Amino acid sequence: MSELIRVTDVVILAYFLALNTFYALLLVLSIPEIWEQTRLAEDEDFQRLMQSDALPPITILVPAHNESATIEASVTAILTLEYRNFEVVVVNDGSKDDTLERLRHAFDLYEVPRTYPETLSTYPVHAVYRSRTRTRLLVIDKENAGKADSLNAAVNASRFPLVIAVDADTLIEPDALLRLTRPFLLGRQIAAVGGTVRVANGCTVKDGRVSDARVPRRLLPGIQVVEYLRAFLFGRLGWNRLGGSLVISGAFGLFRKEYLHAIGGYQTRSVVEDMDLVIRLHRHLQRQKIRYEIPFIPDPVAWTEVPESGRILARQRERWHRGLIAAMWQYKGMLFNPRYGRVGLIAMPFFTFGEMIAPLVEGAGYIVTAVGLAFGVVNTSFALLFLLVAWGYGMLLSLWAVVLEEVSFRRYGRLGDLIRLLCYATLETFGYRQRTVWWRLKAFFTVFTLRQRWGEMTRKGFEDAGKQAAG
Amino acid sequence: MTSRQFLLIVAIAQGALLVGLVILIVLNRWVRVRRSARIHPLRIELDALMQRWSLGQASPDEVLRAMARLPVPIAIDALVTWSARIGGDRWQELSRGLESQWWARAVRAASRSARWWKRLDCARFLSVAATSHDVGRVLRLLRDHHPAVQIAAATTLERVGSSALVTAALEQLPFLGPTVQAYYASVLKRARPAVLRHLQQLFRRLDDPRLPRLIEFAGRLEEPVLREGFTTLATHPEAEVRSQVARALGKFPHLESVAALGYLVADEAWPVRAQAARSLGMIADPKSLPAVREALRDPEWWVRLRAGLALTRFGAPGRNVLLEAEVGGDPEARDMAALILGLSPQALAEYAA
Repeated sequence: MSELIRVTDVVILAYFLALNTFYALLLVLSIPEIWEQTRLAEDEDFQRLMQSDALPPITILVPAHNESATIEASVTAILTLEYRNFEVVVVNDGSKDDTLERLRHAFDLYEVPRTYPETLSTYPVHAVYRSRTRTRLLVIDKENAGKADSLNAAVNASRFPLVIAVDADTLIEPDALLRLTRPFLLGRQIAAVGGTVRVANGCTVKDGRVSDARVPRRLLPGIQVVEYLRAFLFGRLGWNRLGGSLVISGAFGLFRKEYLHAIGGYQTRSVVEDMDLVIRLHRHLQRQKIRYEIPFIPDPVAWTEVPESGRILARQRERWHRGLIAAMWQYKGMLFNPRYGRVGLIAMPFFTFGEMIAPLVEGAGYIVTAVGLAFGVVNTSFALLFLLVAWGYGMLLSLWAVVLEEVSFRRYGRLGDLIRLLCYATLETFGYRQRTVWWRLKAFFTVFTLRQRWGEMTRKGFEDAGKQAAG
Repeated sequence: MTSRQFLLIVAIAQGALLVGLVILIVLNRWVRVRRSARIHPLRIELDALMQRWSLGQASPDEVLRAMARLPVPIAIDALVTWSARIGGDRWQELSRGLESQWWARAVRAASRSARWWKRLDCARFLSVAATSHDVGRVLRLLRDHHPAVQIAAATTLERVGSSALVTAALEQLPFLGPTVQAYYASVLKRARPAVLRHLQQLFRRLDDPRLPRLIEFAGRLEEPVLREGFTTLATHPEAEVRSQVARALGKFPHLESVAALGYLVADEAWPVRAQAARSLGMIADPKSLPAVREALRDPEWWVRLRAGLALTRFGAPGRNVLLEAEVGGDPEARDMAALILGLSPQALAEYAA
């Protein structure tokens, strides 16, 4: 028994060392990336670019299911983005509420014949509408079949070579599209680009725009601000130098349509269609030996509302992890496969052994330590020291994300917000981290039973969040 | 070393790093606040001076002195901002004045810097303040390996009328990504005479792999002197070249264009036929109506769509062709005619765009 516990301890320690060395590598790689990206973002003469006809035209895909309360404001905000040439394709995915009626009334829709070939197969489209007041808007009414199917229907109807999928409840900053096209203007071989998603809870929202960025006062959304900063500012930036991440947020990512067609569009059976899409994109481009990049750039920002209740957050995290497990299993052929270059040799192993099994190892660590302490096999001071180091490293990474935010974009200008960020970065380790481990552990059981179930997301709405912050 | 000692060392190092990071965050804020408090008034002062200078109420020397007090990147930002508002001789006068400024000389010297952001600063500066003495520097920056530097240097073409720069940019154009090509094209349009001369020479190199991209760019210029070059290339063996020629000819309503398009609408490659049908619609010469009617029965969907849309631009005769096809014997032409006739004027306009 004691030998087993000792061996387990050594394995966990080795895992901890290997994983954290990799995180340290990402951290180091994020430094030149943020420097370059910040310089480029600051040096751009956006007005000049906006007046030039060089900007590639973009189709914005907006899947909507029972979004009656927010659809008019969301679509209006998207239609007023600062970009020269874009169209918006809204897909009403068989909403049971009056989403379509709201759209019809707000934008004076009229039915038009379908004039595009169905390149990606989808559930039946009932009708296609154009707007008399907004020529950039196209609305598709189709049978309910989920987000991925709606996105495929929107891709079919899109006219432009670049498409961006945007959630109907996501707020895009006015110049975000312009910033997101920067890699294309720099002449790189871009297959897709991801931007930053930030937490809108606690921010003041005016006319569909975040007018005052604040860090939420409540603990749960506050900690998620730190999590998002960590995930986007150093995680994904670091991956830029390692061949590209496997994730571009489904709420804010720009893709080349020809590649979406080539891989058959969004996978309708996946619960994390964004990750699934990027992995298939990597797989296709590597197999075809096409030179490409899938970079992340930090300055284009979209704001999203995160769960404020533990129950909903638990479901979200369980679903994310369930999707990760399913994706890693489905594409296991890419793991350590040199045919897929750095994606097969670095990204896939990291996401499998670093991200996917991390809750198993951490959970085992807590159990073994508790059992070892109970039986007197593990030395108490050693166990505490180990926990201190493990948690301290987590805090270090979170603080590093705050540093990157501070030296680059500084969206949270108030001193109070900075202090709250530092507090949340510290508190995350105590309680919140263990809860996420438990939620992600549950995914290992549900992956076999609930493979396609999404779970509901109760949203408060941005105006309420704003008033709350203002009050 | 035991694992306990190792963990202890890691814990101490982490503790030191955590404290260091917090200090770094606080220091960074403090430095930024102080820097902003120092620089912001200087920038406001410069903007006010620029405003007065643009109205003839201040001398360029005063502007140059105010600029020299700012950090170089901020001074360049100010120059870029104001160059869009002030032009002509007044701006030339300022550009000449900048040649003798120490900080501007340092920025110019950065065209050879090993650091890309220094070269970017130089390219941005030259994009608004270049004079004829800077041609060599701009040429070097145009060939820079960092794309941001290249893009900024290309903007200089709007200001410096040098055939050497135009030639260098045109030579590079076909090797650039589509978005960068479009950007280069937009700045090259302003240097029209030099561009036209060089393009006419390039059109003669029939084996040049850059030809399709050059034709695409030349089509955007809509310059009548290039039309003859396009019609000559209508029989080129490369389908991509013929496709670009078909696209470009739509912008040149001329009998020879119609004749060339009549030939291309029966091409073996469907993208060429589709482009030719579209261009025939743009010219809308009644004599080309039979060719477009024939294209409505093309085996390829995209050619039929382009032909159907083109017919809507021929007025009543084109509409009659569509109405006939809608009840005609060819099922594919019938479907396409029904689809086109069902489109609203707004939808038709969007397709034409």
